[in-house]
Amino acid sequence: MNLLTFSGLFTRALRWPALLGLALACVAALANFGLLFLSGWLLAGAACAGAAGLAAQQAFNMMLPATGVRFFATLRIVTRYLERLVTHDASLRLTGHLRVWTYTKLAPLAPARLTDTRGGDLLSRFVSDTDRVGQFYTETVIPFARAILCGLVFALISGIILKNSGYALALGVLICILPVSLGVGLLSAPRLRALTTQRGDFQAELADTLAGLGEYLTLGAADARIQALDAQQKTLQRTERYLAGLESGARSLITFIGLLTTLSVVMLAVQAFHQGMLSAAEIPMLALGCLAAFDVAQPLPAACQAFTRARIAAERLDAACSATPCVPAPATPAPALHTPLDLTVRDLSFHYPNSQTPILHHASFTIRQGERVALVGASGLGKSSLISLLTRFYPYQEGEITFGGQDLRLFSTEDLAKTISVAAQNFHLFNGTIRDTLHLADPTADDAHLHGILRTVQLDEFVQQAPHKLDTLIGDEGMALSGGQARRLVLAQALLRNTPWLILDEPTEGLDQKTEYALMQGLLSARPDATILCITHRRTLIPFMDRTLTLADGQICPAEEVP
Amino acid sequence: MQSQHSKNDWQTAGMARRAKGWLAGSVTLGGMAAVLFVLHLTLLAGLIDDLTFHSVAIAAEQHLLILIAASLGGSLLLQWLADRAGMQAGLRIAALVRQDALRHLFRVGPVGCATLPAGRILTTLTEGIDALEPYFAQYIPRAAMMVILPALILAVVFHLDGWSFVILACTGPLIPVFMALVGYSAQGIMDRQWMQLVVLGSSFLDSLRGLSTLRQLGQTQASITRMAAATDAHRASTLSVMKVAFLTSAVLEFFSSLSIALVAVVFGARLLSGTVDFRSAFLVLLLAPEYFMPLRAFSASYHARQNATAAAARLADLFALPDMQTTDRIAIQAETPLSPIEKLVCSGLTAGYADNIPALQDLSCTLSRGLLTVVTGESGAGKTTFLRLILGFLQPSSGSITAYENTGLPLADWQNRIAWVPQRPIMTLGTIADILRLAKPDATQAELRAAAQQADALEFIETLPQGFETSVGERGACLSGGQIKRLALARALLRNPDILCLDEPTSDLDPASAQRVAQAIRRCAAHRIVLVATHHAALIALADQTLHISQGHGEIFSANQRACA
Repeated sequence: MNLLTFSGLFTRALRWPALLGLALACVAALANFGLLFLSGWLLAGAACAGAAGLAAQQAFNMMLPATGVRFFATLRIVTRYLERLVTHDASLRLTGHLRVWTYTKLAPLAPARLTDTRGGDLLSRFVSDTDRVGQFYTETVIPFARAILCGLVFALISGIILKNSGYALALGVLICILPVSLGVGLLSAPRLRALTTQRGDFQAELADTLAGLGEYLTLGAADARIQALDAQQKTLQRTERYLAGLESGARSLITFIGLLTTLSVVMLAVQAFHQGMLSAAEIPMLALGCLAAFDVAQPLPAACQAFTRARIAAERLDAACSATPCVPAPATPAPALHTPLDLTVRDLSFHYPNSQTPILHHASFTIRQGERVALVGASGLGKSSLISLLTRFYPYQEGEITFGGQDLRLFSTEDLAKTISVAAQNFHLFNGTIRDTLHLADPTADDAHLHGILRTVQLDEFVQQAPHKLDTLIGDEGMALSGGQARRLVLAQALLRNTPWLILDEPTEGLDQKTEYALMQGLLSARPDATILCITHRRTLIPFMDRTLTLADGQICPAEEVP
Repeated sequence: MQSQHSKNDWQTAGMARRAKGWLAGSVTLGGMAAVLFVLHLTLLAGLIDDLTFHSVAIAAEQHLLILIAASLGGSLLLQWLADRAGMQAGLRIAALVRQDALRHLFRVGPVGCATLPAGRILTTLTEGIDALEPYFAQYIPRAAMMVILPALILAVVFHLDGWSFVILACTGPLIPVFMALVGYSAQGIMDRQWMQLVVLGSSFLDSLRGLSTLRQLGQTQASITRMAAATDAHRASTLSVMKVAFLTSAVLEFFSSLSIALVAVVFGARLLSGTVDFRSAFLVLLLAPEYFMPLRAFSASYHARQNATAAAARLADLFALPDMQTTDRIAIQAETPLSPIEKLVCSGLTAGYADNIPALQDLSCTLSRGLLTVVTGESGAGKTTFLRLILGFLQPSSGSITAYENTGLPLADWQNRIAWVPQRPIMTLGTIADILRLAKPDATQAELRAAAQQADALEFIETLPQGFETSVGERGACLSGGQIKRLALARALLRNPDILCLDEPTSDLDPASAQRVAQAIRRCAAHRIVLVATHHAALIALADQTLHISQGHGEIFSANQRACA
């Protein structure tokens, strides 16, 4: 896919800020050129007039060029400032646009297609990739467009003074753009791709090492592991060194080409001077202008590398966003749910898409509306996986689930969310205040209602004592809360949604028995009519439930039938 | 070793010491490049003056042309080398710090590392340490260059023209002052909006992390709208900070443009009256932009310093994790034939994690050679804590574990003779043989076969297309759960450990594979102490004794007692 169209630079909202940024960048470069060009002329002109005697001295009008010099100086200051502001704004807009687009595409893929099998942080990659593509505008588009446009203008201005010097300048800039910068781009591209893979591998290996720290120690393999990682890191650094060397080498080459072009422009100008086609003052002017002109070519090698980086990022984004959801969206709009909202599971078999380990194996059970059912079983056996199936995050391979008498596959996660509330263990808490967190579940709830719910989950005392009450920040992923508090906040969210069905995953983990008892009491009296499926390994919760199911060996059966 | 480094060594200054040579080289080369650069400008000004005002023929200037090109070429080459040296310094420091950090993490052990979130350790090791590189590669050399090149130019200008010297000498030091003033107020605005910037800036990642939650809350559509609003708000507030922050570079721009204009105008007037020569005027005009260039380059790399300081703070957190307090287990021990461990006596073990109630209280038991002991109990009861104590990953707050050899004498360093098979064994990318040789790099084929035989893994390995040379794929993707467990067991046996610990060896396995793994474990107990944490009834039935842990308290039953109970 074309990077320019992919980045969204040409969408209506972004076109004008982007063009304005480019225009400012060009004006700033032209002002710089004008400043040095005119200063050169001013000095040489004054020197000529000074040498030519009193009449010439008086005839020389210093006012006009001096004003010009001041004008260009001011213009350079103002446009460079505005350029930075406008281009950064456009780049941020671009990134924002991309992020919304990416997010919209990724939403139906969560969580099945967004789990990274390699320990790397897949989600952080979306952040850096959208950044990269957004910076493509400031780091590649602007430098190249500016070099081409301003290079032409510089050559034209020089050409008006002396035709051949214009040609020489144009040729010099062209060499910087085409063979030098594009050469860097071509040489860098495979290495940049290699670097991306090497980085990913290294990160995955590091993550694996951290996860297996203990086993490496007991295997006596720690030292070998450190050496292996170091070797991998050295390979990575070799690639980085090569890329940096290439870029700075090309930059030096451009400076050198600039000098050679300037020297040849000086030669041409001196020739023309001897032929009487040029005044003496114009020689230093052309020379200085030529030196200043190459400023626009300096960022090009880096721009070429930025281009490949943005391309790799765009390809990854595109690939991730065009994946098909693990659970396809229902073809037809979801039908209305029929009461009673009974859940029937028949002969259900399930394993995760990337593994062969069976989680459920011909499991069957029924939960009638209004029942309170505990699901027990050892940890790691798939109790939480059952939630993923019931909320349509993963497809099941065999068997059938019906909800209210209709096939569960007719509904999407979002449809089911209207009827089923989940308080899962892996629930994400968003950075914000306690009020924000609860409003996520019910945006219309007033403070009195929120406090009521918090009382039910035994959290109101904590909130009342917190310095900012409901406006207390809970931190990134709820880091400011203890594990038990975070879990109860999630429970409060589920209760606020007031759905007929509640699925609770270890609701009282991390609580002492007294709080646990109060919480369960409060919960049941707050929602006496709700159907509750409570997943737990704590026997203390069982008395609050009507009956108990046990998950073992991929089967789900009533507790009393377990041998 | 590195653990004796003072805390200060993880500050950036301490790290710089580790690549002193490269940094000094970079600055020296950069200084030499600056001298050649000024020389080339001087020669260029002379050339243009000669050709324009002294009617020197081009042919007579040929040697000068070559000299100009050569001095610039030399300057660029030296600068390129200086950049490389700086980069080398940065990469070297990053590599050394990363290696030290890993070594330290191994010394801290799995339990100690768990006190920091796993994601944070990983990002500190990757992005965090990467952020050090530009600081040493760019910031430090540029900071030095900011002094060298302007000083050199000032010295040259001093000899050329008093007025220009005054202009440059006055504007030069003013710039940092004004930049600091503006930077200070930008920082003020930033601090005021800090929370908002952080929350908005991370909203994309936060929303992505919470996508499943949002879907289950039925908030998918609403969250898209919210995300769009948040990115726009983030842009707006970032821009309001940038408006001021960019003024710092505008200050620089102001002074550099102003002094070029001033030099041009001041010289113009005096050239007209014939009081200065063109050559010096032109040279000053060439030098003036270069006078400000290092400052611009330096301020462009200023954020490198901020990133590096932040990374250094996170590294300091990581290095502050305490060691496991056991003997150094990173170095591979020399295999001297030792008399086997006869028994392990645990007495009054109490242990827990940071300021919580003890996970294990006053546990005493004896584990003897030749016996298979299973540790049972509900999850969270303290099974894992007990295994961690035995493995030495956790220190008991009171009580002790002592190992005795058959002569009845206590043994030192016995923890080096333990092997462990965790719930999710490490499966690196490579062949079966590679995976087994993790435990013993020089193991012979016969040793591999013997270990595989003991672990009941030989049969399946031999049915694989290339036997021991079959690649297992990423994380053992080509193997079944039971095969991975038996392979890990074989690997653990390769070191012929005196003590073998296994954590839930039969979880996630179908009944048939679980049975095979259980039988293999039973056979291993013949000459060693075997300790297994498990829920699995079939495995418990095979055990010689059971350690039942309930709410931190342990009780030991022999097989007979259990049968009676």
